[in-house]
Amino acid sequence: MCTRCSRLNRRSLLVGGGALAASMTTGIAQARVRPADMVPLIGPGFRPTDTDEKGLWQQMDRVEEEVSGSNLLIKDPELVAYLQNIIGTVGGPAARDMRIYLAHIPDFNAVMFPTGFAVVFSGLLLRMRNEAQLAGVIAHESGHFLRRHMIRSWRDTKRKSDLFAIGAMAAGVVGAGAGVYMGDYVQLAQLGTILSLFAYSRAMEAEADAMGARLIAESGYPPIEMANVWEQLIGEEEASARYRRKRRRRGTLFDTHPSPTSRMQDLRITASEVTVPGRAYDNGRSRYLSKIAPVRQMLLDDQVKLNDPGASQYLLNTLALDGWNGLLRYYEGEVWRLRNRAGDDTRAAQSYAVAVAYPDAPPEAWRWHGLSLIKEGRAPEGKAALGRYLQMEPGAPDAPFIRQMVG
Amino acid sequence: MRKLGLAFALVAGVAVSGCVQSRQYADVQFTPPQGDYRLLIMRPDVVVNSLTTGGMSEPRADWTEQARGNIIKSLGNEQSGRGGKVLVLARRNELPNVSAEEIADLERLHYAVGNSIALHKYSGASLPTKHGKGLEYTLGEDAVSLGRRTGYDYALFLYAQDNIASSGRTALQVLGVAGCIIGFCAPSGGSNQFAYASLVDLRTGEVVWFNVLQTGSQLPGVKFGDIRTQPGADQMVERLLGRMKAGKEVRKAAEKR
Amino acid sequence: MRTAKLLLVAATLPLAACGTVGEGSDFGVYQLIRTKPTNVGNGSLTVVPPRPWNKQRRFLFFDSVRWVEDWTLNGPYLDGITFVSGLPSGQYLIRQRKSDERQVPKFRSDMTAPEVTAMLETAFRVRGGAIEFKTLNLQPRQFLGQPGFQFDFEHLDGDELWRKGRAVGAVVDGRLYLMLYDAARSHYYANALPDFEVMANNARIRA
Repeated sequence: MCTRCSRLNRRSLLVGGGALAASMTTGIAQARVRPADMVPLIGPGFRPTDTDEKGLWQQMDRVEEEVSGSNLLIKDPELVAYLQNIIGTVGGPAARDMRIYLAHIPDFNAVMFPTGFAVVFSGLLLRMRNEAQLAGVIAHESGHFLRRHMIRSWRDTKRKSDLFAIGAMAAGVVGAGAGVYMGDYVQLAQLGTILSLFAYSRAMEAEADAMGARLIAESGYPPIEMANVWEQLIGEEEASARYRRKRRRRGTLFDTHPSPTSRMQDLRITASEVTVPGRAYDNGRSRYLSKIAPVRQMLLDDQVKLNDPGASQYLLNTLALDGWNGLLRYYEGEVWRLRNRAGDDTRAAQSYAVAVAYPDAPPEAWRWHGLSLIKEGRAPEGKAALGRYLQMEPGAPDAPFIRQMVG
Repeated sequence: MRKLGLAFALVAGVAVSGCVQSRQYADVQFTPPQGDYRLLIMRPDVVVNSLTTGGMSEPRADWTEQARGNIIKSLGNEQSGRGGKVLVLARRNELPNVSAEEIADLERLHYAVGNSIALHKYSGASLPTKHGKGLEYTLGEDAVSLGRRTGYDYALFLYAQDNIASSGRTALQVLGVAGCIIGFCAPSGGSNQFAYASLVDLRTGEVVWFNVLQTGSQLPGVKFGDIRTQPGADQMVERLLGRMKAGKEVRKAAEKR
Repeated sequence: MRTAKLLLVAATLPLAACGTVGEGSDFGVYQLIRTKPTNVGNGSLTVVPPRPWNKQRRFLFFDSVRWVEDWTLNGPYLDGITFVSGLPSGQYLIRQRKSDERQVPKFRSDMTAPEVTAMLETAFRVRGGAIEFKTLNLQPRQFLGQPGFQFDFEHLDGDELWRKGRAVGAVVDGRLYLMLYDAARSHYYANALPDFEVMANNARIRA
């Protein structure tokens, strides 16, 4: 593997400011925007007239062409149709024009482009507990689109860098370099770095929050779920940081993104403003769980194999609020096994033993259960478990090796 | 952002001066295509940006479309000057018998190969096993299969970027350079171009020729061949492709005669 | 005629000296490996390459691990062999900070082959930029005269290119000895696989 090919590293994804997850970085709170003030600035069939916006759209069209041809997409038609349906519901007046793509990337992120297409990362699907939360994220991104934040922030950045350059010249500092190139064979995994051009201000994030809450409430989803998304993300970040014994960064004056805590609080207030008393809201949990079910194991696999024990544990515990099962206990074991601190092999063994007691335990659970037993010195039981694994998956890629172990 | 990094690195290298530089590598046995050959030009990537005062690159749709049309025309003319038949691929699904996915896979492989060439031939991380061997890179059997099914002999991958300084930026440049007189130099990069071309022989799958072109100027108001104009595009294409030299062994053989 | 005019214009402009483009500047990142017995990693493993390869210079201070060494034929984007020569228990394949969110697990001497390969898979996902990773095969295989394993896999990386690989390894006296081959699935994997097989079969531990 190319361990020094740093640009192959997915970590560059979250650097972008235009993507949702980047707004996780902390900052001073922004005054709450009232949802009643949020009206869409884009109607159906919008096309740009200004020269610079036309240029940007042209680039974005090329980006969409690349995105739709990318082999990093999950193309499961039912799942994509489900997402398309959601964006059609909460996308506002221009919803019919919007396109949505699902990327096989285990990070929590959703990205909206100025030409009206969105990319949702598969890590997002793992973290949403119901359809209302997913709709909330999509509606937030639609908010950026409907309030024309991209072109506004693009122009802001341009204006600011113009001022900087003149100021810098006066101060005798060498001016800015050749500038950033957008376009060419834009590759999906690089999106985050490209979108650093669309750094949304605190005000814009607040607008998108307000617009998003309004959109989902109008579609019958409980708007409080948007606040819950932040609560879950904060929890995950804290769990991940706590494991690494780092503190979640506190706000600084110079940060342009509002603190998730204050956004969560603002969203709670906003939710109460847009909630119509007496109206029935539905968070669509069972529908969501059944739609995600076919890819759930893949999503868990992607997440757990990244070996971020704090975050993975938090996510598993959150999913387990709906009830533990063989799949979740198996992945609980996997988190311990990969973390591999003192005593983790025992913890992992216990989780595997519990997992195989459930009817939905995946075959891999039997394999690891067997290997754990053998390591504990309980060879006959271990081999029996491995035998069970081979029975369930005779064509498993590692069957030749496991068969030799069974003897 | 590998490609960006590459463009940055190379352009940044040019930014401190005004110059045209280009260095080509070819297979030792390479002879530039002549006579009746068929050339497939893969989706050419052309962008023209306006360099704002602050150094930001602002893509201009109108300039880009103009330049793209010019470059495609220049490519056609340049190649017809050599007597070949050219198809410029605008979308991945334009070739009969070849799926869009196959073209995509070839593009992705070329991305890795092109970057390898740029890294190991142009950026100082040379591979000792390739010393003195010209170009020793291939796209392999997939490229040969493409050639066989479509009847093309060569494929050309081309990428071109032109950043044209706006008047605001030119003004800044004047200030910067003027400052040098009083001992206070603050040059800011002016118009610049970066392009590469890669020629693949579809009968063998090998990259037989590769060239990088960079131009740039610190001098205010100097524009190298503006590719928004036909002559400018012709000039870039000419610089990139027109001086295609034969490989080392072929040249040596020619000299001996 | 037009060409001549342009050349003339170019000549009259006061051009500053250009920096060199091309093979002129070389930072010595790669060294030549010749076709003779060569010690790799920390020197405890010896292989004989069937043709010349390129060895990547290690920055032991920065990011390299003493027991790990990388070779390539066409450059790391296209192919490479990683040698692990006697990695002790409790060590990592790569350098990483304890505070990194995503960690490559450490090697432990009581690891079975499935655990070693799971460690490799996580390394690919966390460090190698792999978005998808598929195990193709895991089977017993002799390595260095000891019972070991062969692991075949494929992965899709952030540059959207599919790569394919093979690892051959064994745990000997509690230490990990491994040869990992990884290359672009189209053309490059098949191209150097015979070299890898030759070296996997002639590899020896130096006493």
